[in-house]
Amino acid sequence: MSALTLESVSISEESDIMAARQAVRGAASKLSFTVTDVTRIVTASSELARNILLYAGSGVMRCSLLDHDNLRGIELTFEDKGPGIPDTELAMKPGYTTGKGLGLGLPGAKRLMDEMEIESKIGKGTRVTVRKWLRS
Amino acid sequence: MINKSLSVVKIRDTLMVTMPTDPDDVMVSALQEAVLEAMEKYRPQGLVLDISAVETLDSFFARTVAETSRMVALMGGRTVIAGMRPSVAITATQLGLTMGTTMAALNVDRALDLLTAKPPRRESA
Repeated sequence: MSALTLESVSISEESDIMAARQAVRGAASKLSFTVTDVTRIVTASSELARNILLYAGSGVMRCSLLDHDNLRGIELTFEDKGPGIPDTELAMKPGYTTGKGLGLGLPGAKRLMDEMEIESKIGKGTRVTVRKWLRS
Repeated sequence: MINKSLSVVKIRDTLMVTMPTDPDDVMVSALQEAVLEAMEKYRPQGLVLDISAVETLDSFFARTVAETSRMVALMGGRTVIAGMRPSVAITATQLGLTMGTTMAALNVDRALDLLTAKPPRRESA
């Protein structure tokens, strides 16, 4: 599988969420995703970028195009050096929040994308990876 | 993409706000204050929020709209969101967004119809 990193956007203030969204929209439009899939991917990126801002203060989003045999897709990673998530299973529960959000970000983003992985270490940081594959 | 500043327009007895394609957090936050100030100034029957151009509606935007709608209701007005795109409706539903008790209409015309229609009368005891 090859992955081509297209863009990385550092996230440390509200306007960076917009920058991340626009980078993702540009990348998703390069592959011929449907309008609805582009909306799903961009909306998921907005939720995950906002999570970085809310919980870690700053971090980075990377956007890559995937080419795996005949399967093409997009991969977004959101990485921060924040406090980490004590219980990732709990954090994935719809409606669960530590109080700063609606509790929709992680479970919602998972539903909008095809795959999601969370790696988190207390005191070290969190990396959330999501992928969406192009239906042929 | 350039975001125009948000304007709240009064048409007859209704406030109208047209959201841009990709509203940022600053603009979404400004929406609430601008709408409530205009509610006090013009004392309209309600608010139509035209979101027909909006391509990204995330949980922050949805929460602000739902909150604003509750505040408008507390001041005595009603809120109708108008013209949500199909792709946005699909995404919002999968994300798990709810707009609270905010009314919705297919377009601005129908939103105005909803607002001018008499609200259902409560049964008196």
